[in-house]
Amino acid sequence: MNPRRPARGRTIDDRQLDLFLTDYFKPESAPAGLTRNVVRHARAMEEAMQQITQNLTIEATDRGVTLVSPHMGKAAGAARREAAGEDAKARRLAARARRELVEYLRGERAFFSVPVDLSGLPEFQRRVLETALAIPFGEVRSYSWIAKHIGKPRAVRAVGTALGRNPVPFIVPCHRVLRSDGSLGGYGFGLPMKRQLLDLERTTPVLEGCSSTHIVCRVGCDRGQKMRPDHRVVFASVADARSAGYRPCKVCKPAAA
Amino acid sequence: MDTERALMKRVARRDEGAFAELVGRYGGRLYAVAHRLLGSRADAEDAVQRAFLQCFTGADGYREEWAVSTWIYRILSNVCIDELRRRSARGRREGPPLHEVPEEALRDHNPGPPGRYLDLRRALLRVPREARVLVALRYVDGLSHRELARIRGISVNTVKSQLARARSILRAALAEGGGR
Repeated sequence: MNPRRPARGRTIDDRQLDLFLTDYFKPESAPAGLTRNVVRHARAMEEAMQQITQNLTIEATDRGVTLVSPHMGKAAGAARREAAGEDAKARRLAARARRELVEYLRGERAFFSVPVDLSGLPEFQRRVLETALAIPFGEVRSYSWIAKHIGKPRAVRAVGTALGRNPVPFIVPCHRVLRSDGSLGGYGFGLPMKRQLLDLERTTPVLEGCSSTHIVCRVGCDRGQKMRPDHRVVFASVADARSAGYRPCKVCKPAAA
Repeated sequence: MDTERALMKRVARRDEGAFAELVGRYGGRLYAVAHRLLGSRADAEDAVQRAFLQCFTGADGYREEWAVSTWIYRILSNVCIDELRRRSARGRREGPPLHEVPEEALRDHNPGPPGRYLDLRRALLRVPREARVLVALRYVDGLSHRELARIRGISVNTVKSQLARARSILRAALAEGGGR
């Protein structure tokens, strides 16, 4: 086979195009050490996941989640949990938050539907956290972007402090806030965790369709959670999904996201 | 039960030897697809590693009604499509120029003399994402329309019409000089 590059300005026929494409998509040799890297990565990931989910402490009021802590001593949380835990609705919200957090950390969720309750916080911190809450999954913003957004462009350092004391990490995505030069800045649970979360979001898809129903959902939609793993097809946009014969889900409304 | 399906059963039991064999069989083809779709070598390696990671950790979700190749290509195309989504989201946020593949990535490409495929690579960027992925899978492994349809969870007719559209876009772009 000797596919020749078609000359400019000339039409090429189907056979030429076939040869050209076949040559272009010739298999290459895979990078070395692939197996070893993957196995090592899989083990590390499973360990880290277990560590976080085992020690997750969550508190909520009837209006939303007030506290998420990946490694708080049980005793410290217990007293407050009891005070807040009288309410059945609060308990339901805490349970939902736990479920959503585990899915998020497993890479099976690209948004949180459980509400947060920031009403107990000082005004400035609340506004900072509410702004952070609007940063989309998988994206990042700078500390100064938040400062400008709340109308206090000079309060960059205070923004950092407010984020550092975020009582509902993960759900209020303070890990999506970086320095303007792109460096990580700080994180309450250490920079390795911040890096891990950004990496997790970089590798979690946002839209997936079900090949049996031909409905496309945001990853994490209740309907999507019931999908069989081998029915999951990732899409890059709702328009792409439509072009492949899928329609957007009416529950999670992926077009609006 | 054929050998590949038996291999998958061993991978599901976390048999590293079986996994190494799976990587040996598919690594090259997956890497070629990822490299051509994503443009850069580093991104392709990252995508292939992620796809194999999902094969390894998700092997117990593999069902025998699937050909192993279909299952693996589904995972890889899911990873690559999501990477393309992220790039276009980044492009939108940071404003123009919106190129899914950066110019330097176009030059970073190994087989053949430099520049030989530049026209084709540019022409492929004009092909809509979904169809581009089908073209890559079709030409890397000569997959049938039926298998392509199963991989992307779409109908055979959609596969045919998307491939036909891709080919006509490619022919037009190549005739006018490489999509520029």
